[in-house]
Amino acid sequence: MNIVVPIKSVIDVELNIRVQEGKIAKDGMSYIISKWDENAIEAALQLKEKHGGEVTVVSVGPDRASESLRKALAMGADKAVHVNDPAAEDSDSFGFAKILAKVAQRGPFDLIITGKQAQDTDMGGTGPILAELLGLPQVYNVIKLESDEPSTLKLNRLGHQGQEMVELKLPALIAANDSLNEPRLASLRGIMAAKKKPLDVLKLADLGLSPDEVGAKGARVRTLEFQPPKRRAAGKKFEGDAEEVTRKVMDLLANEAKIFA
Amino acid sequence: MSKILVVADTKGSDVRKPTLELLTKTRKAGLSTDAVVIGQGVQKNADLLAGNGAATVYVADDAGLAQFATAPYAAAIVDAAKQSGATQVWLSVGEMSKALGGALAVRLDGAFVSDVVELELKGDEVIATRPAMATKVLQRVTFAHPGIRIIAVRSGAFDAEPQPPKTAKVVALATPKGDERAKVKGLVAAQDAGELDLGEARIIVSVGRGVKGPEGVELVRPLAKALGAAFGASRAVVDSGWMPYSAQVGQTGRVVAPDIYVAIGVSGAIQHLAGMSGSKLIVAVNKDADAPIFSVADYGMVADLFKAVPIMIEEVAKHKQ
Ligand SMILES: Cc1cc2nc3c(=O)[nH]c(=O)nc-3n(C[C@H](O)[C@H](O)[C@H](O)COP(=O)(O)OP(=O)(O)OC[C@H]3O[C@@H](n4cnc5c(N)ncnc54)[C@H](O)[C@@H]3O)c2cc1C
Ligand SMILES: Nc1ncnc2c1ncn2[C@@H]1O[C@H](COP(=O)(O)O)[C@@H](O)[C@H]1O
Repeated sequence: MNIVVPIKSVIDVELNIRVQEGKIAKDGMSYIISKWDENAIEAALQLKEKHGGEVTVVSVGPDRASESLRKALAMGADKAVHVNDPAAEDSDSFGFAKILAKVAQRGPFDLIITGKQAQDTDMGGTGPILAELLGLPQVYNVIKLESDEPSTLKLNRLGHQGQEMVELKLPALIAANDSLNEPRLASLRGIMAAKKKPLDVLKLADLGLSPDEVGAKGARVRTLEFQPPKRRAAGKKFEGDAEEVTRKVMDLLANEAKIFA
Repeated sequence: MSKILVVADTKGSDVRKPTLELLTKTRKAGLSTDAVVIGQGVQKNADLLAGNGAATVYVADDAGLAQFATAPYAAAIVDAAKQSGATQVWLSVGEMSKALGGALAVRLDGAFVSDVVELELKGDEVIATRPAMATKVLQRVTFAHPGIRIIAVRSGAFDAEPQPPKTAKVVALATPKGDERAKVKGLVAAQDAGELDLGEARIIVSVGRGVKGPEGVELVRPLAKALGAAFGASRAVVDSGWMPYSAQVGQTGRVVAPDIYVAIGVSGAIQHLAGMSGSKLIVAVNKDADAPIFSVADYGMVADLFKAVPIMIEEVAKHKQ
């Protein structure tokens, strides 16, 4: 089973994020593989271990994206493709999907696994758009995956009405929820082996894309600015004897916040 | 001329409140609006949608549409959008809005924005505000493409002022084409029919790992009942198997914005906060005074939940009398 996993190198959102003049301050930031993409890598590796084949990880991004790709290779992916082109930066989901579609089409594949959303954008558009561009069936928000035969996946997704079961014929695209699995850590041997695995670096022109189609120029959704979140008014915190604290707060909820009114 | 197509969000065969929020917004802004409703047995909602402002109601009602699948749902919306001449398609944020929005962006050759909490509209010039980076920033975006604007709005972004039904102008859609390659086989565990829906509840009580186990969950459940609240959970609780997936609040679960959110034994990790910090009033019980949940709580109780919760239940009963 040949699997393509698009991974994004993102600012670690656990850090203190600051906004300066409408932009995200980049100094002092560190970058990681977007968490849900790690679940996508893990799912791909498990399928490969079961059915054989190759896992190709792909990232569109500046130089630092190669670190994320090396990490994925160290986890066990076989090949990496790095689309490193300044004209691809500031793409929207549609733009990234267009680039990823071209990369996927370079070779035969059975399955694409994306994250449910990237941790920096939280948009969740790239996977679904990519599936449509390639004419693939798709299942979003996958929390469980079984595959007895390589042509079909039996999936549970977290859907509208609870956990829904879906049977998916390959080739197809799925988007991973973090409950899908526990991503493995790279072993020392894996890290050594990763150094010898192929990592292709491509420009947009190598994919037959013009700089106007993607990046900031081709973006269908354009960011005007970032703002700090609206601060909630400072709340009240009560400490002391558990019973006193509880009765006090319940009284305030009733008489000040009027939640029973 | 701008024209909005509101995609009705249904549970079972009933339209949910977030749809009325969208219709209230377009009605108050005086925007020309149609609606589309998809599912099994959903035709009955047409008059409600009309009463709330949909000039034409497009209906795809078929046994094959009982469960969401991207392909047929997208096909029905594309059909309705084309017939109505929509320039914008509005969805309610739910588990499947991202899949649907992305698919629509390609099929309608437009652009998609998810998780919108504020909309500034001047005809089809749209500025949308949405949280990003686990709600650590707000992103203001606009559409830089002439195609249809596909906008998924979070519940609670607009207030609903429901209006009585009136006779609808209904257009029945041809049964949309599904995709045989992705077959929905049914539910693993249906949500308890008696349970309140997290997306619609005025009050939510959520439990975290602090409840220690299933007995702790059962200790808190009566509090939710007494308050008439939906019952949610952190991921730690869901992953431990103490509560079903459908109860998970947060970035990978449900994003909620009730009037009142009560967090019991939840630490307040950013992924949890990303799912509930839009709530109007937040109450937290945690024995650790430094727990991050207190940074968003309007009323924080530093207390052992095993002592606090029984007293809370007792107090609610008193005040409800
Ligand atoms: C990609 C990604 C996505 C995620 N998505 C989600 C998501 O959607 N939703 C979500 O919730 N999490 C999500 N998480 C997980 C999140 O980071 C936290 O691990 C999780 O929210 C912790 O759950 P918790 O607060 O119940 O548990 P803990 O963090 O273990 O907190 C338990 C709390 O209970 C308190 N406590 C213990 N005993 C008592 C007592 N007797 N009385 C009172 N208080 C007590 C403790 O002080 C502590 O603060 C995600 C993580 C990642 C990486
Ligand atoms: N620049 C990128 N490079 C590789 N994969 C990406 C990129 N952007 C998005 N993706 C993939 O698409 C998913 C959703 O991204 P988004 O639409 O930004 O939420 C991510 O989890 C990745 O799997």
